[in-house]
Amino acid sequence: MMERVTIVASAASSSGFRLSRIMTIAWREFKHTVFTKGFIIGALAFPLVMFGLIGLMPLLLSDKPTPVTGTVVVADSDGAVAQAMAEAFRQYREPSPTAIATGSPFDEFDPDSLDAMGRGVVQVDISRVALDSDLAPIRSRVQEGSLLGLVEIPAGLLESNPSDDLEISLLVPSGSPTKTTALIERLAREATVVARVERSGGDLDATRALLRHPRSATARLNAEGNTAREDIKIRYFLPGAFMMLMWIAAFTSANQLLTTTIEEKSSKVIEVLLSAASPLELLAGKIAGQSLVSALMLSTYGVAGLSGLAMIAALDLVPISTLLLFIVWFVLAYLMVASIMTAIGSAVSDLREAQSLVQPAMIVMMVPLMLWLPISENPTGWLATVASFIPPCGPFVMVLRTTGAMEPIPEWQIAVALLVNAAATVGLVWAAARIFRVGVLMQGKPPTPRELIRWARAR
Amino acid sequence: MNLEPTLQDATLAVSLRGVGKRFGSVEAVKSLDLRVERGSLIGLLGPNGAGKSTAIRMIMSLIRPDCGELTVLGGDALDMKDRIGYLPEERGVYRRMRVGEFLIYIGRLKGLSKSEAALRVARWLERIELPGVLRSRCQELSKGMQQKVQFIAAVLHDPDLIVLDEPFSGLDPVNARILINAVRDLHREGRTILLSTHQMSQAEQLCDRVVLINRGEKILDANTQQVLSDFAPRAIEVEASDAAQLAAAHLGELPGVESTKEGSSPRSLVLCLSEGANPQDTMAHALSAIGCRRLEIARVSLDDVFIRLVTEHGGHARLEARGSA
Repeated sequence: MMERVTIVASAASSSGFRLSRIMTIAWREFKHTVFTKGFIIGALAFPLVMFGLIGLMPLLLSDKPTPVTGTVVVADSDGAVAQAMAEAFRQYREPSPTAIATGSPFDEFDPDSLDAMGRGVVQVDISRVALDSDLAPIRSRVQEGSLLGLVEIPAGLLESNPSDDLEISLLVPSGSPTKTTALIERLAREATVVARVERSGGDLDATRALLRHPRSATARLNAEGNTAREDIKIRYFLPGAFMMLMWIAAFTSANQLLTTTIEEKSSKVIEVLLSAASPLELLAGKIAGQSLVSALMLSTYGVAGLSGLAMIAALDLVPISTLLLFIVWFVLAYLMVASIMTAIGSAVSDLREAQSLVQPAMIVMMVPLMLWLPISENPTGWLATVASFIPPCGPFVMVLRTTGAMEPIPEWQIAVALLVNAAATVGLVWAAARIFRVGVLMQGKPPTPRELIRWARAR
Repeated sequence: MNLEPTLQDATLAVSLRGVGKRFGSVEAVKSLDLRVERGSLIGLLGPNGAGKSTAIRMIMSLIRPDCGELTVLGGDALDMKDRIGYLPEERGVYRRMRVGEFLIYIGRLKGLSKSEAALRVARWLERIELPGVLRSRCQELSKGMQQKVQFIAAVLHDPDLIVLDEPFSGLDPVNARILINAVRDLHREGRTILLSTHQMSQAEQLCDRVVLINRGEKILDANTQQVLSDFAPRAIEVEASDAAQLAAAHLGELPGVESTKEGSSPRSLVLCLSEGANPQDTMAHALSAIGCRRLEIARVSLDDVFIRLVTEHGGHARLEARGSA
């Protein structure tokens, strides 16, 4: 068996690794991914439009909604409900912190709520008729649209303990906007409650004051005796948004790496490329090029997201240190995912073959998404701590933790997670380079996982 | 074999000594020795699956040999990519890229500046008669046109060593002729060219030397003219004015003729000469015996040599190189 191999290297050998080649490959990869209709529409335009719409939502809601003007006829037993309803509409037009028209007579009015922002012109007159009068002509007027609606309040509803079978009846024209009918129905219910309290001799204002919900705040006390305020919005929304942003940016580019590598193999251009660049240069160039694509997406979405936070004056939720750490985690996550996808792309001949290898990898990479809620619930718990040390999920988990924790993550955990995930990244890039070197020239049936390991260990 | 003791011979562009490669149970290349002198044009011949492409891929450092010693331009091909042009057998283009953009991209990978690459692309497209395709997408070109584009990609950067794996396969005669001329010009300019083909006529036209590989083994390594001479049959072919005259002449009884066999036409006969017979004397006898329309010393083609060697040796026996190697 012959074993001796000598490949003489020149004195000026650079091990076939040249930066200019890598940059040339990277630029082609970037250009041919980004300057395509599919990418511009799918990866940039669509999300930007979505972000834009979310940003514009308050403005759209504050725009003039359909005015509510006209007359509502209230049929009740003694006129108390009609009177309370007229007052409710007045208060709805001029809200106050304890206004009746906020959903419940006992809830506080939030001037920043969407409900408050969405109010338009409301000019409603209340006309009262006796419950036992002939309501047929009124129903006809409702039908022809000359009245906003007819509200019938059964007498029993004003008793101190009304029957569950009784209900308010609202009759509106067929084309009446839902928002208008919902408002009339809501104010009719509130007015009935007010009338009922007044009939029982109770003091409505005193009752409101007694039943008003107090504000609350949670603060966590850590081992050093420091406290951190807990914000439920931060705890669930922000970490999820950061992780999804990282996941989408990393996977979009990694998927591109998979498909372009397969395309280069199937179109037979790979050997032409390998005559001009070493496998390692090709791999490095491709990964670098797609990292630029990823960075572009990240910055586009990131700027849009931060602009959204700035619009609601919540930019302080994302300190600069968190952003810097996020970039570090992103680099590690991208390199790990990109290595896995490129290795798979190099080992197969077409996308169909790739599916059998991509599926197990995807299941592993879906783990951070599945862990989102439990980790957001307890970012410093054992599950979050352990998961942050397991690549390739570690970087995603660390982003969930650092952006969602109400108290600082222990520094040693960040250091260990960085160390473990960085080591895993180096290992995966190394293995991907070895598999790529062998795989790109292979044709025929896709390799088994065992063969992939053998390629990675090949000399 | 007369290999130099060191592989670092300045006169050699490529040197292989005892190079072997195995894929599973298949021994694709068996202890191959090969020396390609600088400035030469060598044909690497062999039937399909002989191991030519594997040998070339090892020369290009695309795959590593299992054993042996290998140098390209005095070093490892991996470090010499800018000085080597390679047209692989498995070739392709980026289908959606424009021709000019694709060639400039390859040129830049080979160390050319963008402007220099653009200049050379325009020049080469004219040279191999592909004007007006600069802005066409590669997928819009015919297969033959794509092959010419790929040829440009291999030679754009003025390499010292050009390795062409089946460069003319699939081309129509007109386009094959254009590329043959281009290869010949590059050789005249002093480039070293290693050409793999199984089209013997083209190798015969182009190559200074031919190396024949069968079943991973080298079975011939010799100067092309020497091969043709060594394998030329000791025979004369006579074409008579009419067939009846040919039968009546009893040419088999002429001095120096050992036997006869059918010639290339119904009116021709091949006279096989006996050992020591002088072909000129036999030709003179033939001329006096019959009215000849054509009389010539029988020639051999590389095709004949190829078929004979591959058939005779079945790829198992190793024939020592004939002539100069």
